[in-house]
Amino acid sequence: MEGNLVPIVTVPEIATVVEIRDEIDEVKTFYFHFDRLEIEQAFKIRSGQFIMCTVFGAGEFAVSLPFSPENDRKHISVRRVGKVTAALHQLQPGDKIGVRGPFGNGFPFEEIKGRNIIYVAGGIGLIPLRSSIVHVLQHRPEFGRVILVYGARSSKDLMYKESIREWKATENFETYFTIDRPEPDWTGEVGFVNQLVAKLLLPADNTVAFVCGPPVMFNSVIKELKLKGIKEDKIYSTLERHMKCGIGKCQHCAIGRTLVCVDGPVYTYKQIKTLGEQI
Amino acid sequence: MYWLERHQLDNLVKKLTESYELFGPRRDKVSNEVIFDRLANPLELDLEAPIPYNPPKYILFPHYEEILRYRYDRQSKQVAIEKLSHLKPKALVGLRSCDLTGILCLDRFFLGQEFVDEVYLEHRKKLFLISNTCVRPFPQCFCVCTDSGPSAKEGFDLDLTRVGDRYLVEVGSKKGQNLVEELGLKEAGEEAAELKKKVVDESVSSFDAFALENKAWISRATNRLTTGFIKPEVWEYIGNQCFECGACSFVCPTCSCFNVEDVNRLDGTTDRIRTWDSCSFEGYTKMAGDHNPRKPVEDRRNKRFFCKLSYSQSKKYLRPGCVGCGRCARVCPGDIGLPNVVTYIRREITGD
Repeated sequence: MEGNLVPIVTVPEIATVVEIRDEIDEVKTFYFHFDRLEIEQAFKIRSGQFIMCTVFGAGEFAVSLPFSPENDRKHISVRRVGKVTAALHQLQPGDKIGVRGPFGNGFPFEEIKGRNIIYVAGGIGLIPLRSSIVHVLQHRPEFGRVILVYGARSSKDLMYKESIREWKATENFETYFTIDRPEPDWTGEVGFVNQLVAKLLLPADNTVAFVCGPPVMFNSVIKELKLKGIKEDKIYSTLERHMKCGIGKCQHCAIGRTLVCVDGPVYTYKQIKTLGEQI
Repeated sequence: MYWLERHQLDNLVKKLTESYELFGPRRDKVSNEVIFDRLANPLELDLEAPIPYNPPKYILFPHYEEILRYRYDRQSKQVAIEKLSHLKPKALVGLRSCDLTGILCLDRFFLGQEFVDEVYLEHRKKLFLISNTCVRPFPQCFCVCTDSGPSAKEGFDLDLTRVGDRYLVEVGSKKGQNLVEELGLKEAGEEAAELKKKVVDESVSSFDAFALENKAWISRATNRLTTGFIKPEVWEYIGNQCFECGACSFVCPTCSCFNVEDVNRLDGTTDRIRTWDSCSFEGYTKMAGDHNPRKPVEDRRNKRFFCKLSYSQSKKYLRPGCVGCGRCARVCPGDIGLPNVVTYIRREITGD
């Protein structure tokens, strides 16, 4: 962790939700800022880290951070899936949330400078990768080829449509989009992400890949990337688990010998293979 | 070292009650079980009683504890969060060395890793610990296999060893030294260390005669668990016997998994509580949306014994996670207390 404040460990810091956007079906993005100015200024993250977010009266959940460590609005994007996230979706702008963190190791950044980077995302798997993508684009000259392959069930299910519009217009950023079935106005690819990865001419030397998506997509994409010659320890992903504390104590997120909250959530595929549990 | 005469024990306890809430082993009148409990009456303290049914971990790490209380008014958008702390200093008298070792494991786990657990720290910094050497092992004990007894080596403020009808007192901290001086205990002279060693050695050599219930040669099991070379059939066999009751976790001096929930109260405030949890429960790893990465029960049992015996987990405790108290073997309605699991793992190696 680079020059940031000590993570908020026990008592959540209060933050105000300032804007709420509907992303896709059941997924909303909540923009927030901390009520205390000193926290707002000192709160620094690494791409790939997560926070524990309190919805007052409902509980707390772990959520990955989609914003860049630099010059980006603080937000989280959350699918309504359980009790606490359902309560979050009820909030209106002006409501308060609680934040603990940031926790976890995060994606490599300094270590991958000078390399080609391939991002492969499926569905809401784009959420944690967005932070790294934006950060890398902010430092574009320091990297080799930067490629995004993103797939979703339909065009309606593509996350961050505004960012995608920007990215499509960004020079030196190769973007490929695919949806499962043809649609009338769709100009991108059709098919699963792994099929698109297989078709593309991707670099393999001096290349790292970041993969995030549902388990089936993850496994099939890894297979393709390995066929392209990308090494297992150069493929990164981020895992999610049931979490309660975020600081390595409650043990709910234990996988193999590691705890996702402190040893992860970012792992290389080489590590994931040895953990002995399904994704 | 110092001598504590029988009649001075009352003085010691009385002195402690002036500044501490007193906890120790006592016999429950109804069930006749020995429990490590709050002693409303210091006379209930029973230093001769067998190893208590429950470990003292609940005193530092309660079954159920409110850690925060907050109130959120959605109208005015006002949030008030209060960190709850209502802890009195506590004296734990008559800790068996396995239980003291359990506390040291919790210390290292909660305080010695990347993050300090502030809730645990609050409990921990106000304790006075007096351990009690087991001059004779109890049927369920196997602490000699796990290097955690029968006498405490570290972590106590005072350590008692019964010699005849009095106690040898070893001082382990400044706090302990102060108490010994306040009580005006008599110095025990140079032969004391030798005397204590003799008592402990005798206790160790009597394990074969008295500690008949459990044995656990854990080093080979540790090796296997760490490297993962244990056949799935062994875990299946173990998993088939698990009732998923969680009792092993709750009586284990080192098990420390917890759950956190926000509980709404009638007055409009919400308590954030933390409660004991067990990796044997199916919901333990279940995520929102019902995805559960750790489904079969053998997966979850595997996790518990990995926690107790693997090298990677031992690094966090600076020793094995099992302290040899034998409680899990007592409470398990199946037959998968830790000593048996070690046997199953070894059986696979030796083919017996």
